[in-house]
Amino acid sequence: MDVDFPREIHDAIGDGAIMENGMKLVLLLAQVMTLVSALVVVLHPNILYATIFLLFSFLGVAVMFVFAGADFLAGAQVIVYVGGVTILVLFAIMLTQWLYEAKLKTTLMKGLIPFIVVMGALGPILIKETLKLSDSVSATPPEKMGEFAALAKTQLIGQALLGNYLLPFEAITILLLGALVGAVWLARPE
Amino acid sequence: MNILDWATSLQAYLVVGTCLFLLGVFAVLSRRNTIGILLGIELILNAAGINFVAFSKFRAAAIDGQVFTLFVILIAAAEAAVALAVILRFYRLKETINADEANILRN
Repeated sequence: MDVDFPREIHDAIGDGAIMENGMKLVLLLAQVMTLVSALVVVLHPNILYATIFLLFSFLGVAVMFVFAGADFLAGAQVIVYVGGVTILVLFAIMLTQWLYEAKLKTTLMKGLIPFIVVMGALGPILIKETLKLSDSVSATPPEKMGEFAALAKTQLIGQALLGNYLLPFEAITILLLGALVGAVWLARPE
Repeated sequence: MNILDWATSLQAYLVVGTCLFLLGVFAVLSRRNTIGILLGIELILNAAGINFVAFSKFRAAAIDGQVFTLFVILIAAAEAAVALAVILRFYRLKETINADEANILRN
């Protein structure tokens, strides 16, 4: 498929070998921002601040999507998560416990068992397997990755949704309709 | 290896995804507030999306992983809408959104 992207964009979102150091720094900062914001989401005692930091975590993930050549997904991420889900959660917080109960009940003792489960058992295993997996995966040639990254994703995703993925696509439209009607019905006034 | 080069590697994407997943699991397990649990679930779904997108670029160089991430984003949106409606309902019933209070079936 021929796409006439400028060469600079091709280089910027393509393979790491020809990416400029400044762009790499942006990606690194996005990754750090994602994780630090997620840490605040998990630990902050005030649910309102946790939600606002969730927004920054989502934005960091969107930047990571851009660098992985998923421009359409980055847009969808910003629109759906930052513009939709986070605002929805903020509304729910303000409708339920805004003034008097904004503090989360997470005492040190209650967090202790989950901490042991996550850091003692799940974490080491998963991190070890992740490192092993990423070493064993035979990487695609950088030229092919750069070529893929420069393709127009909106067109490809549209073709995939109405081609190979038509059935999941239709199923998910029905799921969305059902979920939204159900949500409105559940939240209706008495 | 230079840390800037590492940031663009598959390993960096996978490590960030794994850490997000672990943080999400920790949030789901430790939070008592139902909205806090919901935030943890969103983190987990995002971690899944990162992995799909990373493998879509670094392994397959094909669009399929991105399509699945799109599905994940849509399901997360639907899930958030329903979950928040349930939380509102629960709040009207119990005047709290503490998950420990959701014990009507136990009596």
